[in-house]
Amino acid sequence: MATSPDLGALVAADDRASCCAAVYEHPAVQWLLGGELHPGGEQTTRRSLELIGIGRLDRLLDVASGTGTSALLAARQFGCSAVGLEFGARAVEAANAAARAQALDAKVEFRQGDAEALPFADAEFDAVLCECSLCLFADKRRAVAEISRVLRPGGRFALSDVVVDRERIPADLQGTLATVACVGEALSRRGTEQLLAEAGLRLDAVEARDDDAAALARRVQDRLRGARVLGFDRHEGFAMSTSQAIELARSAQRAIADGVLGYAIFAGTLP
Amino acid sequence: MLDAEIVRRGDTVVLSRTCPDHGAFEAVVYGDAVRYLEIRRFDKPGDEPLERQTEVVRGCPHDCGICPEHAQHTCLGIIEVNTACNLDCPICFADSGTGPQKHGYSLTLAQVERMLDAFVRAEGEPESVQLSGGEPSIHPQILDMLAAARARGISLVMLNTNGIRLARDPRFAPALAELGVHVYMQFDGFDEATQLAIRGKALTEEKLRALDRCAEAGVSVSLAAALERGLNEHEIAPILRFGVEHPAVTGVFFQPVTHSGRFRADSNPLEKLTNSDVIDGIAAQLPEWFRADDFVPVPCCSPTCRSATFALYDGEDLVPLPRLVDVEQYLDYVTNRAVPDLEVREALEGLWSAKAAGGSAPVAERLDCVACATGMPPELREVAARGFMIVIQDFQDPYTLDVQKLRKCCVSEIAPDGRLIPFCAYNSVGYREQVRLTMSQNGHGN
Repeated sequence: MATSPDLGALVAADDRASCCAAVYEHPAVQWLLGGELHPGGEQTTRRSLELIGIGRLDRLLDVASGTGTSALLAARQFGCSAVGLEFGARAVEAANAAARAQALDAKVEFRQGDAEALPFADAEFDAVLCECSLCLFADKRRAVAEISRVLRPGGRFALSDVVVDRERIPADLQGTLATVACVGEALSRRGTEQLLAEAGLRLDAVEARDDDAAALARRVQDRLRGARVLGFDRHEGFAMSTSQAIELARSAQRAIADGVLGYAIFAGTLP
Repeated sequence: MLDAEIVRRGDTVVLSRTCPDHGAFEAVVYGDAVRYLEIRRFDKPGDEPLERQTEVVRGCPHDCGICPEHAQHTCLGIIEVNTACNLDCPICFADSGTGPQKHGYSLTLAQVERMLDAFVRAEGEPESVQLSGGEPSIHPQILDMLAAARARGISLVMLNTNGIRLARDPRFAPALAELGVHVYMQFDGFDEATQLAIRGKALTEEKLRALDRCAEAGVSVSLAAALERGLNEHEIAPILRFGVEHPAVTGVFFQPVTHSGRFRADSNPLEKLTNSDVIDGIAAQLPEWFRADDFVPVPCCSPTCRSATFALYDGEDLVPLPRLVDVEQYLDYVTNRAVPDLEVREALEGLWSAKAAGGSAPVAERLDCVACATGMPPELREVAARGFMIVIQDFQDPYTLDVQKLRKCCVSEIAPDGRLIPFCAYNSVGYREQVRLTMSQNGHGN
């Protein structure tokens, strides 16, 4: 397997931001997810941008932009300019390279930084996109407040994320690994709505994407099974065996079918 | 030729036409109307053969050889070396058997060499050829013929056999191993009723012995199961489970029985099995391993003709390759989207192809290429290259023959005069009968 940081140590040290960035930069994890870092992949991204009516004159901030797919899609298909902020330095590098390769580097740039302390002035953006990341942030209230702060009045946001029913979520979908897998500390739909309201953001639409979540969980399970069949039982640095990970993915699918776990787009405006 | 319409009847798709002499008739061509539309995107534009052998005189399908109207080159060439057989299968589309043959023939080595040369002229570097019959293993010069194919640089040389000689002659499998020949062995299931209906004889013991001899000698084998509705559909799972376990077996081909030749000429063409029925059968019998969408149509021919998948198996769990790589995205030629990597597409085209068989060297290379280019971690690639191939192959019969599909056919019978005749035309338009007549009159009769 390609060289990687010691994820086990990062998990143990509870260095949340480094750990998550390292996990999602990891080639094995990217393969498991099939290049989709959130349920529905580009389709969900397109739908989010449609919901907030992104256009040519807009300047968009993508919070936790990963390898840059969504910000580049926004520039390519909706004509806006964009800034992607990402904690993982290698992902930032890869994203900037992708921007150059697609000749979009004049319109899109990627910077390394912390979502809980956005390195931008107040009211700097017309729109903010944040996909499947709030669930990973240690201080969610602060992250949402930061989104609100960098939006101009009348600016729009699209936040898509895992939603869970905390009362009914099974025990195996809690804990550190479940957190890294976006489930452990995800909010409920109501919890997310409250957080947005507290930050002074107005919610205009919520759209469930549970089928996409189920498809992603199934894909991860299939690819883990593939890895196990190919003789890949345990990777140093990962805290669980492939078989345990398969069980986790299976449990996630059951939870989605039971309506305990899902994915949704929250779109709205800063009044 | 009659004009025909492809229409939906309930959940199925049928070919509907009216003959001035015999009236209206319909035949099912695909068992799932929704999927029929969905799979049309797996249709790759045809490639040019290097040589076209005939002129257009009467129009398709009466000018075969590769004629100027044909829209595809040949992936797999088939040479029928004889008409004699050591079985009398009720389903035989080649009308072969043990007794004296009406217009029977047996090719000489020199004839087979000329036919191989014609194939090389048409294809440049053909990758795959199958020697068939009759029962080719009983031809006294079969090993020389197989060697002649290998000598022309053809990497996948297959012997299509019932396995009887392999079971009875302990020297045969080692000889095939030495030549690097892949065995394509009829294997229709384990029930005696199945075997009596399809082969006229219970053969399980001999088949198993043949396979064990292949394993011992290091010969790889594809099992070819003829499936008939109401007869042996229930044997899909037992055949697959047996196949993935057996050390010699590297793939299984399921073929809905063709109602060409002598079998069930009176059968209802609206009840014939099609590829979607077989795919649904696999998914229903082995739901822990397969879904219908694990089987992707081969884009070289018409999307209803051949679907395939590659499976990774570790003795317990089995995972189809399309779960690990978005095969559909690469083999979609209609939906307007960018293909992420042309090298991967090319490798997948070589895998989802009539020229591929599990366990062959080109297949292993291509699986490795796909595994590498799609970011599969390096430790996994080596194992991925041992993918088990599962193919569902439908053939047309006189009821379902559709010249639009025929023109894109990439499986050709190589005729003794060197013409490459699309397989379904050979069996349904009268070419087989012509060839037999000519051969028996030219002094090659048996």
